[in-house]
Amino acid sequence: MVATSGEHASDRPGLEIACRNLSSGYLGKKVLDGVSFTASEPAIYVVLGPNGAGKTTLFRTMAGILRPYSGRIEIGGRSIEEQATRDRLHFLSHVDGIPDGLTVEEALRFYASVERAGEEDVERVLRLLEIEPLRKKFYSELSAGQKKRVSISRIFLQERDIYLLDEPTANLDPKVAAEIRDLILKLSRNKVVLYSSHNLFEAREIGRYVIAIRAGKISLFSRISEMRSSRYTVGVRVMGGEASLPPEIRKGEYYIFELSGPEKVPGLLQDLQSKGVQVREVKEMGNPLEDLFA
Amino acid sequence: MGQTAVSRGRLPSVTSVTFRRGLYAGRLFLGVGLMVSLILTTVLLRSPRGAVVFETTFPLEVPLFASLGAMGGMMLFVSDRSKGVLEYLIAYGIRPGTLFVNCLLTTVGLSSIVLGSALAVGLGGFLVTGHPLTTDLENSVLGYTIPMTYASSLFAASCGMIWSTLSTPRIGYNSQAGVAPLLGVAPPMLVLILAEAVDRSQYYYVTVGASLGFVALVAILLLASTRLMGRERYLSAM
Repeated sequence: MVATSGEHASDRPGLEIACRNLSSGYLGKKVLDGVSFTASEPAIYVVLGPNGAGKTTLFRTMAGILRPYSGRIEIGGRSIEEQATRDRLHFLSHVDGIPDGLTVEEALRFYASVERAGEEDVERVLRLLEIEPLRKKFYSELSAGQKKRVSISRIFLQERDIYLLDEPTANLDPKVAAEIRDLILKLSRNKVVLYSSHNLFEAREIGRYVIAIRAGKISLFSRISEMRSSRYTVGVRVMGGEASLPPEIRKGEYYIFELSGPEKVPGLLQDLQSKGVQVREVKEMGNPLEDLFA
Repeated sequence: MGQTAVSRGRLPSVTSVTFRRGLYAGRLFLGVGLMVSLILTTVLLRSPRGAVVFETTFPLEVPLFASLGAMGGMMLFVSDRSKGVLEYLIAYGIRPGTLFVNCLLTTVGLSSIVLGSALAVGLGGFLVTGHPLTTDLENSVLGYTIPMTYASSLFAASCGMIWSTLSTPRIGYNSQAGVAPLLGVAPPMLVLILAEAVDRSQYYYVTVGASLGFVALVAILLLASTRLMGRERYLSAM
């Protein structure tokens, strides 16, 4: 499948990452097979897929960590094999990658030296990520949320055109995850951000495009807003007449109904009313992205 | 946000920062290696049997402790790999082979600290206490102590690094970091036992022969590492 976000012209020339017939894997075992897509519009492209589908392999290959068995990765038409091209992207792994035995400040300085960022960039990032109070703490002394914040901070040391973020909010509490999502959303205003996640609601909240991977192949590349779910699920909260509803469809405070589409909601409400059910709230429960995992 | 993305050409070298970090990672081993080698050197210098014991034993004991003191390079590699640091450095464009070589250079640097300190204290003390520097001692240091120190340190480090990439990470004394010091200590220990057992006339042949053989083995291992260490080997577990 060849997919592209090219209907929207990039507002920065060359701000485009393309995988062309990419096959890659580990020690000769193919994980990705013939992956092709182009991301050219500044936006967040959420990469979704079940465990083992090839998301991390795709990111590692696009970041130049793994060499593809065949195919090419290009940024602005130039191969990722060139150092100048590679310098246009940032990669955030699913592992923290903070060296042992360093304080937060030293770890940032370490990456700043590799990135050729300056002392002022380290200070700016410490303030931006609100990790200044942690600067003298060793990485091992931090909580999971603080560790993730420090880990993600390196991508703000230098501005790049393309960002490959492998599960940046995994294992974080909702508050920290929301803060990190906000930072990434701001970043995506004029950048191409590929963002892998298992969280469908997060994907729908921040993503403009979805790239679905299944068994090493791209199974879908689409604007999220254009996706339609095959099932449409609503939750109904009631304030009377529960007795006429089957208890097995109750999930928490809501009774769950699966409909063929949103146009069926008024009919459902009429039906409930005729049964004496007093409806307090109707909430859309389903996420079209769920179908990608079905 | 910082400066605009631009082409910035060559990457900076991470060799010196790798050495500093290796020094920190292996500081306990370095401390033990340094301390024990200096204590033993002092004991040998004060031995009632004098110059003969020093001349035959001092050149043999230094590589033991130098290889022990040089574990920081391997420990850094194992830790960086499991924590995903190597993955990041490769993403920045640093070649995997460079990361491997940097850890070997760190090993060489750390073993040089122990070797240099032991030679300075041992040979300095030997001269200060009124003993002349004999040709036998000179030959033993040049033909055995120096090459065996680097060979055993590099052997332990490269075996530990390659082993860690080929196997599941373990914790504790059966980990690569726990077993590798034994790999480094074993060859000079065997030579020490063998050299003490043979006739004095055979001493030089046994020690220099062992050191040359071991240097050749390490050279083969390092050449093989270019095939064994594909870039997938540098990645953390998924």
